[in-house]
Amino acid sequence: MAEQRLVVLQGADERDLTKLAEYRAIGGYDALAKARALTPQAVIDELLASNLRGRGGAFFATGRKWSFIPKPDQNPNPHYLVVNADESEPGSFKDNEILSRVPHRFIEGCLITAHAVESKHVFVYIRGEYLGPFEAVRDALEEIREDDQLLGGVTIVVHRGAGAYICGEETALLESLEGKRGQPRSKPPFPAISGLYASPTVVNNVETLATVPPIVAMGGAAYAKLGVESSTGTRVVSLSGNLVRGGNYEVAHGITLRELIYDLGGGVPDGRELKAVIPGGSSTVILTAEEIDVPYDYDALAEVGTAMGSAGVIAIDDRCCMVQLGIRVSEFYEHESCGKCTPCREGTRWMTAILRKLEAGEASDSELDLLLDVCDRINGKCLCPLGETAAMAVASYVLKFRDEFLAHLDGGCPFGSQSPLDGVVAPVNQHTQSPVAEVPA
Amino acid sequence: MSTLYEEIRELMAVYPEPRSATLPALRLAQEKHGWLSPEALREAAEGLGETPAYCMAVASFYDMFHLAPVGRHLVEVCTNVSCALVGAQQVLEAFERELGVRPGETTADGEVTLRTVECLGGCGWATIVALDHRYRTHVQPADVGAIVEELRADG
Amino acid sequence: MSAPENVTLTIDGRVVEVPKGTGLVETAAVAGIEIPVFCYEPRLGPPVGACRMCLVEVEGIPKLQAGCTLTAQEGMVVGTGATSEKAAEGQNATLEFILVNHPLDCPVCDKGGECPLQDLTFRYGPGQTRMTFPKRTLDKPIPISPTIALDRERCILCYRCTRFSESVAEDGQLVARNRGSMSMIATFEDEPYRDLFSGNVIELCPVGALTSTQYRFEARPWEIQNVPTICGLCPVGCNISATTREGKVKRILSRNHPEVDQGWLCDKGRFAYPHLYAEDRIATPLERVRRRGFGEISWDDGLDRAEALLRGAGGRIVTALSGSETIEEAYALGRLLRVGLGAHSAVLPEATSSALDAFRAPLSSIGHAEVVVVIGEERVADRAPIVGLWIKQARRNGGDVVELAEPKLDAELEQRLRSSDRAVLIWSGRAGGGGARLAELAHSLGFDGKPGCSAFHLPATPNGRGVAEAWAAAADRDEANPEPIGLLIVSGDEAAADPAVRALAEKAEHVLAITMYHGLAVGWADLVLPATSYLERDGSFVNLEGRVQRLRRSVIPPVPDELGWISKLAARFGVEISPHASLVFAELAETVYGGEASFGDVGERAPLPARAAYEPPEPRPVAPIPPPAAAPAEHFLGTLRLLRYRPLFSGPTVERVPELRFQRPAAEVELAAADAERRQIRNGDSVTVRSESILTLRARIDRRLPPGVARIAEEHARDLGTTVEVSRSSNPFTSAGGERA
Ligand SMILES: Cc1cc2nc3c(=O)[nH]c(=O)nc-3n(C[C@H](O)[C@H](O)[C@H](O)COP(=O)(O)O)c2cc1C
Ligand code: SF4
Ligand code: FES
Repeated sequence: MAEQRLVVLQGADERDLTKLAEYRAIGGYDALAKARALTPQAVIDELLASNLRGRGGAFFATGRKWSFIPKPDQNPNPHYLVVNADESEPGSFKDNEILSRVPHRFIEGCLITAHAVESKHVFVYIRGEYLGPFEAVRDALEEIREDDQLLGGVTIVVHRGAGAYICGEETALLESLEGKRGQPRSKPPFPAISGLYASPTVVNNVETLATVPPIVAMGGAAYAKLGVESSTGTRVVSLSGNLVRGGNYEVAHGITLRELIYDLGGGVPDGRELKAVIPGGSSTVILTAEEIDVPYDYDALAEVGTAMGSAGVIAIDDRCCMVQLGIRVSEFYEHESCGKCTPCREGTRWMTAILRKLEAGEASDSELDLLLDVCDRINGKCLCPLGETAAMAVASYVLKFRDEFLAHLDGGCPFGSQSPLDGVVAPVNQHTQSPVAEVPA
Repeated sequence: MSTLYEEIRELMAVYPEPRSATLPALRLAQEKHGWLSPEALREAAEGLGETPAYCMAVASFYDMFHLAPVGRHLVEVCTNVSCALVGAQQVLEAFERELGVRPGETTADGEVTLRTVECLGGCGWATIVALDHRYRTHVQPADVGAIVEELRADG
Repeated sequence: MSAPENVTLTIDGRVVEVPKGTGLVETAAVAGIEIPVFCYEPRLGPPVGACRMCLVEVEGIPKLQAGCTLTAQEGMVVGTGATSEKAAEGQNATLEFILVNHPLDCPVCDKGGECPLQDLTFRYGPGQTRMTFPKRTLDKPIPISPTIALDRERCILCYRCTRFSESVAEDGQLVARNRGSMSMIATFEDEPYRDLFSGNVIELCPVGALTSTQYRFEARPWEIQNVPTICGLCPVGCNISATTREGKVKRILSRNHPEVDQGWLCDKGRFAYPHLYAEDRIATPLERVRRRGFGEISWDDGLDRAEALLRGAGGRIVTALSGSETIEEAYALGRLLRVGLGAHSAVLPEATSSALDAFRAPLSSIGHAEVVVVIGEERVADRAPIVGLWIKQARRNGGDVVELAEPKLDAELEQRLRSSDRAVLIWSGRAGGGGARLAELAHSLGFDGKPGCSAFHLPATPNGRGVAEAWAAAADRDEANPEPIGLLIVSGDEAAADPAVRALAEKAEHVLAITMYHGLAVGWADLVLPATSYLERDGSFVNLEGRVQRLRRSVIPPVPDELGWISKLAARFGVEISPHASLVFAELAETVYGGEASFGDVGERAPLPARAAYEPPEPRPVAPIPPPAAAPAEHFLGTLRLLRYRPLFSGPTVERVPELRFQRPAAEVELAAADAERRQIRNGDSVTVRSESILTLRARIDRRLPPGVARIAEEHARDLGTTVEVSRSSNPFTSAGGERA
């Protein structure tokens, strides 16, 4: 099964779609005109028919999310469309490519969505590190600014983040966009009712929005024919890790993980063996090499106890130590925990500490159980999914590679320096900008 | 040339609520001062109409704001899983050797700060190294010498 | 508003009915069930759900929910840790996570014995630690101000203190820095947490992370007593508990009166109690021996001397009252002087006009107002700090706050006030007849018939109204000022510190001073009788709402209290007055408070008397309010009108507490941005302020100050005249100032 750049990235290999003229040449912004000729409700209906589900991670039906926005007579506050371009999930880099290569399709999606939810204000929250994608969107906006008709009275502000994974969580993103520390809010109220500036707000992922123009163009029903029933349409999958051809591949849902890894990604290089696959970004439950015949769609992945997440597939070869993987992933979440709720803030730090002891061969088997128990005690107790998914992901390494963890109990890591994750310096270990004990005189 | 104060006031006008300009204002202040020194935070606060403590609280939440001095150039090596799986640590060590500093440190001449960072969103093109925020993809240890030379040549 | 709909739900098998939307923590409390919390504190705004101590199981929801963020809904079935194993496990987990890095230094912690973390760990926590790696260690404790110490190791990051700073005091100074497990509470750089209300964070902290430097290692909870009384330092009269140990006050805590103070205290009320133990406190009567020297005499001799002075004056007596006497004391003094000696002349503190009683409402009503109009040049916080908090709350609730220098409303505002059902007027200035003009304004706006519309006058003294009423009740005759004054009686420290009273003393043949401190009396009084503090007296105060509140003696004063010896002295003039505050109150209540209130009725949380019918205030000469100086022409550097103010942190009490020194105003002159710019003065510049005399002060630009005025704290303005010239101090290191003009 080959790659199919059918929808989101369509035309990007043939033309430079960062240019307005090129994009127009393939019918760009026609969908916008078509949508504006429809009532907002009719656009929402198209989306409902497409059964598009959010590409940011939670897979929530986009049309339904839009329909939660109160009508102007129910809530007189302005409506906001906020784009989640914070893409920071390890293993995901699809939005990077979408923004860089098809910025106009993305902007068109924003404008159609703004029409559908009757908003005049769009904020694109883009992670601060994405300088290139930021410039691509900025330049594209520059181009269409000359055409009043296109914007149709909608303002689009591109707002750059400043380095915090948690700001991808929608309520943390809103806090950050309001100029605060990016800590999640407790829900309810949901953003649709009280989001940005306590006003009705739709938060959508970049890929979700870039999928909207093609849906409007081809019709929701036609889109729904792509992919599989529970997961319609296509998905831009990010392949990385120990693969011959890492990169983004737009495929129809339902392709198997094995096809993704071997047919598109070219398999594991240098004749090594595949050991495990993280299927949807580092916060998803790991799969062993034996489990990869699963179709890449929402239901099928849920059936094997994991998730599609942000569609970041990380292939791991047989040199890698799973305890070290646990450390590196745990350190990431420890570093990125916002610090608001107790289980995540303290628990991720504790997880890392136990894993380090295990790796050093200083732990007893009761501490392996303790690790699982700590994960269990984080899971289901946090304010937002960050802590919980971190705990689930790390627990899955223990559960699926228990023998390897047990092998560490006496004598330390059997892989030694052969594992590429050996001794990796994580940002959490470098305190240049956040001194731990700093004392006002 | 407009002052930081004026530029921040302009930023504030972009948003329905002026506090939203905090991140961009801090970025401007950092660009102007090189890092968010107490003085820079005070200036940003003055422009935003917030307290310096508020600005410090916000700035310290985000990794891209520097509350301690950094070099004129920033070398950031992603050591998250995807990059690490294909040898990010070796790339990092090459930079350590080439620059003579450890991650988190700045060269003695104040030119280059070396840091490790979390996933930069380029996993399939690993190893990703951000040089003053411009991504280099597929970086190998062997590339490091040339990169550093280029960086140092760039004034 | 329609009555809220009631809902029925089940918690731990018990059925409760509450109004829909009631918080689950409160709902459970109605059923007698405790949901343990750390971060939840409704006074800090909407719940944040941070600590996860309150986890409960809700039927139909697979995940545990934070009880603090839930509200009661019809048919909800909730299990708390008491009945739900899952919830209990959740709570146990939260506590274990909290304790992972907690130093467990309870034996040396001031919070020990009254610590929610200790209590909840005892009830819900893990039995033993499973933590096998080093705890996070941090430097401890660090002073974040001279009054507050921060121990970051003990901090559980409930964010109560930072939420207080951000959304109650709105000072933006106490913040969280860093992220994740490296998060910590901090101020900016090494700046102290300097806010009028900073001390509240000590009480909000559910562990021993924020503690009082004054109370540090002073007492353990089982050794102390908490005496419910009220603060006597401003006209709000916040309800407080005085913690005492071995006959000494060790700290002041709030004692939430929801209508008055909502459980907040200003730092003056909280931290000023060491004034009781000031070095220059007078312990025995003093008599002038030589020109400036004083000698200690016995109380018997003191009373003899006082009697002699009183008799010697032959009725030519003037009494200067402070407004911090209890009403019982002022009444007793009035009986002694007016009935016993026919000495009716008094310099009374500014009293709130009774005409305002028609617009009475609890202070809490300000917090829900749609529109609040503050009239006058005095900063609200300097006169009645808690009122400032209520005004902030009104603004947070969406109300508009309008500040006016003069009681002149434009047509639009007038219309708004007329049509609003929740409007508040506040008079925060001198003049105005103690709110008489305000009452007229409120009446003209039709506030009489609208219980949600109210008017408040912020007087300069804590009990000015009570003192004036009591003095008036003592006899019903008025007399012109005696000339020359035979004896000036100075009652209390504020009167003693008042330059106007001192000027009067120059003209008096003799002076009898009743004061606590050497520094205030020595040098000009002939006889000094030692005074007591509000923390040492029984009696009553009338606050600015007109609420009669009860002072309870927290500790025995080192000297006889005023009421006791006044009663004795009065007997020598044939006037009978009880030495017991309760009996004096009963007598007074009959005349002033309609004979209904008794000392006992006032209770621990005093009720607010009902509104009176509006009676126009007696016309009296109203001192003109100085008009604001016209904004000078663009390039003309005219004079500025001097705005002197008495800062909250000033006065004889505050001056005697070294920990509060940092709160006192800097030697600054505040200028409007336009005035500063015209003079090329920048923030922090050293400037010369000139009238008859010359001062050098630091300039501070206040973007909210109207142009044309220079604002200087009284203690720094010294003898400057009413108009001043302000210019940049010439700096020898730069060329002469004029060229840039
Ligand atoms: C910790 C965390 C990080 C997240 N990061 C992102 C992100 O980087 N980009 C994104 O689009 N969604 C992210 N999400 C999901 C968002 O909260 C939200 O569901 C999404 O933006 C909704 O858009 P969609 O409906 O178009 O998918 C994250 C969620 C969590 C809990
Ligand atoms: S789970 Fe982690 S990231 Fe989410 S609110 Fe809690 S501390 Fe913050
Ligand atoms: S009390 Fe509910 S989360 Fe803290």
